[in-house]
Amino acid sequence: MSPADIALRNETYRAFVVLGRAPSADEVAAATESTAAEVHEGWRRLHDEHALVLNTAGTEIRMANPFSAVPTAYRVRASDRWWYANCAWDAFGICASLQSNGRIEASCPDCGEPLAIAVEDEQPDESSLLFHCLLPARRWWDDIVFT
Amino acid sequence: MNLFRSEEHIDRWLGLRCPGATMPVTTLSALAHAWWGDRLSPQWKPHSRQQNQAILDRLGLAGDFWQLP
Repeated sequence: MSPADIALRNETYRAFVVLGRAPSADEVAAATESTAAEVHEGWRRLHDEHALVLNTAGTEIRMANPFSAVPTAYRVRASDRWWYANCAWDAFGICASLQSNGRIEASCPDCGEPLAIAVEDEQPDESSLLFHCLLPARRWWDDIVFT
Repeated sequence: MNLFRSEEHIDRWLGLRCPGATMPVTTLSALAHAWWGDRLSPQWKPHSRQQNQAILDRLGLAGDFWQLP
């Protein structure tokens, strides 16, 4: 990954956290003194290197892992804002990346019972819950949205 | 990659599908903090496969299931 692509990736993440949503290519272009076309080209390279995930059209951010650009079943309150996580792993990842305590809200996929977990000093306050990972690690990026 | 109330709920949700791997939520939190903790650092650099595999190994997530490609 080139230094220029790392800089583009870092600006994209910075903007995501400042805005509380995925930035557009125009917004990132304005911050990096480049064009939206150049941002799209860079995002494509970052997508191919699994540094972020574009939507199926390849035009917008779908995931800046652990953050999701679209609503999901995992909501996280951290750093005075609500976020969507891509999965349970990423829900804790949002607290980790923001270096913040937080509150995770989800529901059991089996029964639909609401789940609420407070995360303080990296520790969940509810220790009886279980995390299940369906796919082996070698298949995670076959279809990262499904994973 | 989901959270469940118990093993019984995982089994029912899986139905006829092959089970993957299950861990306590406390292990998940430790995994997430090791995996994502540097994600917003201005000095961020991509993790190598070896770095990520070492995170999994440290948490006892070993075996074929947890082998990164």
